[in-house]
Amino acid sequence: MRILRLFFVFFRIGLMNELQYRANFFVQLLKTAFNITWSLAAVTVVFSHTSDLNGWQPAELVALLGVFVLMSGLIGVVIQPSMERLIEDVREGTLDFALTKPEEAQILVSIGQVRVWRLVDVVVGPIVIGAALYYMGRGIGLEIALQFGVTLLAGSVIMYSFWLMLSTIAFWFIRIENILIVFHSMFEAARWPITIYPGWLRTALTFLVPVAFAVTVPSEAIVGRLSEGFLYGAVALAAVMLVGSRWFWRLGVKQYSGASA
Amino acid sequence: MSRFADIYTTLFKISVAIMLQYRAVLVIWLIGLVLQPIIYLVVWLTVAEARGGQVGDFDKAGLAAYYIVLMIVNHATFDWHMYEMGYRVRTGAFSPLLLQPLHPIHRDIIENVAYKFITLSVMLPAILLLTWLFEPSFGAPIWAVAAFVPALLMAFLVRFFVEWSLALSAFWITDTSGLNQMYVIAALFLTGQMAPLSLMPQWVQSVAGVLPFRWMVAFPVELLLGRLSPEQVFDGFLMQALWLGAGLAVLALTWSRAARRYSAVGA
Amino acid sequence: MSDTSAIRLDDLSKTYRVPVREPGLAAALKSIVRRQHREVEAVKQISYEVAAGEIVGFLGPNGAGKTTALKMLSGLLNPTAGEVRVLGHEPFRRDRDFLRQITLVMGNRNQLVWDIPVSDSFERNRAIYRLPQEEFRRTVDGLAELLDLGDLLDKPVRNLSLGERMKCEIAAALLHRPKILFLDEPTIGLDVTMQRRLRRFIKEYNKRYEATVLLTSHYMADVEALCHRVVVIHHGQLLFDGNLSSLVERFSPHKTVALDLEQEGMDLSAYGEVVSTDGSRVTLLVRKEEAARITGQLLADLPVIDLTVEEPSIEEVIEQVFAQEVE
Repeated sequence: MRILRLFFVFFRIGLMNELQYRANFFVQLLKTAFNITWSLAAVTVVFSHTSDLNGWQPAELVALLGVFVLMSGLIGVVIQPSMERLIEDVREGTLDFALTKPEEAQILVSIGQVRVWRLVDVVVGPIVIGAALYYMGRGIGLEIALQFGVTLLAGSVIMYSFWLMLSTIAFWFIRIENILIVFHSMFEAARWPITIYPGWLRTALTFLVPVAFAVTVPSEAIVGRLSEGFLYGAVALAAVMLVGSRWFWRLGVKQYSGASA
Repeated sequence: MSRFADIYTTLFKISVAIMLQYRAVLVIWLIGLVLQPIIYLVVWLTVAEARGGQVGDFDKAGLAAYYIVLMIVNHATFDWHMYEMGYRVRTGAFSPLLLQPLHPIHRDIIENVAYKFITLSVMLPAILLLTWLFEPSFGAPIWAVAAFVPALLMAFLVRFFVEWSLALSAFWITDTSGLNQMYVIAALFLTGQMAPLSLMPQWVQSVAGVLPFRWMVAFPVELLLGRLSPEQVFDGFLMQALWLGAGLAVLALTWSRAARRYSAVGA
Repeated sequence: MSDTSAIRLDDLSKTYRVPVREPGLAAALKSIVRRQHREVEAVKQISYEVAAGEIVGFLGPNGAGKTTALKMLSGLLNPTAGEVRVLGHEPFRRDRDFLRQITLVMGNRNQLVWDIPVSDSFERNRAIYRLPQEEFRRTVDGLAELLDLGDLLDKPVRNLSLGERMKCEIAAALLHRPKILFLDEPTIGLDVTMQRRLRRFIKEYNKRYEATVLLTSHYMADVEALCHRVVVIHHGQLLFDGNLSSLVERFSPHKTVALDLEQEGMDLSAYGEVVSTDGSRVTLLVRKEEAARITGQLLADLPVIDLTVEEPSIEEVIEQVFAQEVE
């Protein structure tokens, strides 16, 4: 509850801040529109040569696209901006401000920066998913909806933990921004089902940079093709990564206070 | 002319020295450099798989060869200053460049060439890695290999001048990221990065051929793969020359306006 | 234009358009739809001339329009109205010939490349300004000697202290031996020794190359040491143009009288404004024209041990100037 309230405060500040730059809203709208248009176009081009991509039908791939947009929105609204800020704070030494506040520092840095307009993606993603389901003429039962919800939540937690761990490296190595570029190129790979990639790359996208759990797994859930193993696997991985990232974060803070004292 | 040679060699050496400070970053860039072509290569290999090993006029080894050469050409011709221009204008980082008695475009060209020179060291292992992973088959007549060199050089120039002219929009628009994204997406489809142009619908191929896109990337790629007839290559050089001229003309017309605009908004 | 004036401003004005925004979420939302603008006159019809070889202090509080004016003079900004001529050029055209003769140093910005040795950055400027090798060597040697650069030239910029970096920054900006120097807060953030050193250097450079210098600074010591003449602007308007000494005369109607008395705790408020009382030592502020009369009276009326009359410091005067509103 406390986290939500704090989040709302930061959200409000972010909103007021961004409203100054009205063009940004339209720019974001435009970007999302481009993003979806070109992805659909790419899907169209691919399916003009085949009717099935490694078992995925066109409409199913559109659903995956919706999940991709939704997930990149979730990352873009709060995770990425907050973590970029964290890295900068560590470098500039301004993390002291967060550490001296009477609130759990991990929470403060995790929601400290909100990029409001990215919510456009969070709204548009589900619309695309809905459209794809409608096109497939498939309603979703309670079980599927539940599986989707659980895997989506697990995916978000995995992404958050992954970003937190990545950013925490900044406590030891100051120049870390470039690693974020790696994430972005890896995340791009998630526009397509991870199953199409050759084994070594699939492994990397599942365990090294776990974008498979962020996009492919929830997508498999929504099209009703999720194996039980992956469902439990996602939940387990989310739990492990959440705990692990918390531990790593504390280690980082200890290092930080040790170094700056 | 010899004065320009001095500027270019001196600045080139210094740019290389600066970039060598960021060696670790090169390795990181390597990942992005290799991954993007792999994504589309894999997508098309999957399609080919579903259709018995052939899609359009490409078999699997042909697709692998296409994407490896594409990676080389795309890397050789790309330029990042387009994304920097907005930042330069907003923060006033353009000011010192304007106060020097040298057109800023020279520095950008030199930086680009220096970057390409240094990244050769990651390019070569990337090529070997992809060759080992995807087993491409190359085959082009000698004349095509020879013609590839000037085609690549022209492709670089066309792309540089077109993108630099486009980047000048940063002087009028505060946030150019939307425009840049639109351009990148158009380029993704029209330069043959998402798919070989021959796998695209006919109308897309026509658009790509009329606009500068095809001549910035796809043309040298197809040339080196031995997929073009001498007549097509001749036409290609002609189109490159045409678009290079157009790019230079636009730049000449807009540059002084852009600089004046910069001085109007407050450096 | 007379041959001797290196810089000339004629009714120079610059107006910016800035968006207006009220606080609060509702106002912010409203501004998305319709945005209100306001015109800000950063510089209002300023005119002055600077002769070749002169060092002029350009003073004004933060936001007075100094930097805007400097940017118009160096060619980064287009004037909204009025005229500027620097060495006979219109700066905003940025002719090569013009750019080769000026330099702009901003104390809070650097043009040296962070990661490579200073000499490499110098080398870059040599190429860009197309300086002949021979002449370049001589200039570098000269600057190295004047600024005591020593082995700093071989170090990467990131390993230099702020003061060392500023010395190199200035040297880099002067490699092409500009005739006109625009110095915007060149001593900002430096310690006192380094400030003094830079001041001495600027003076020396001015003498050696007969360069014209236009300098802004918050440190009055800079201005006192370097400039006979100052131009003061406030709220974009020209407030004063003349000698430093006449600035004091014009803007400070007071003198300070300090007394040592035989007795403690005497009330002297009848003679003037009491600034401070420290035991038997009292400091009074009196109107300039009455200074002579009041000192006479004080000596006659009171048991005075010692009495001094002083002009207020430049610092105080400037403070006073900036405090008053422009009519």
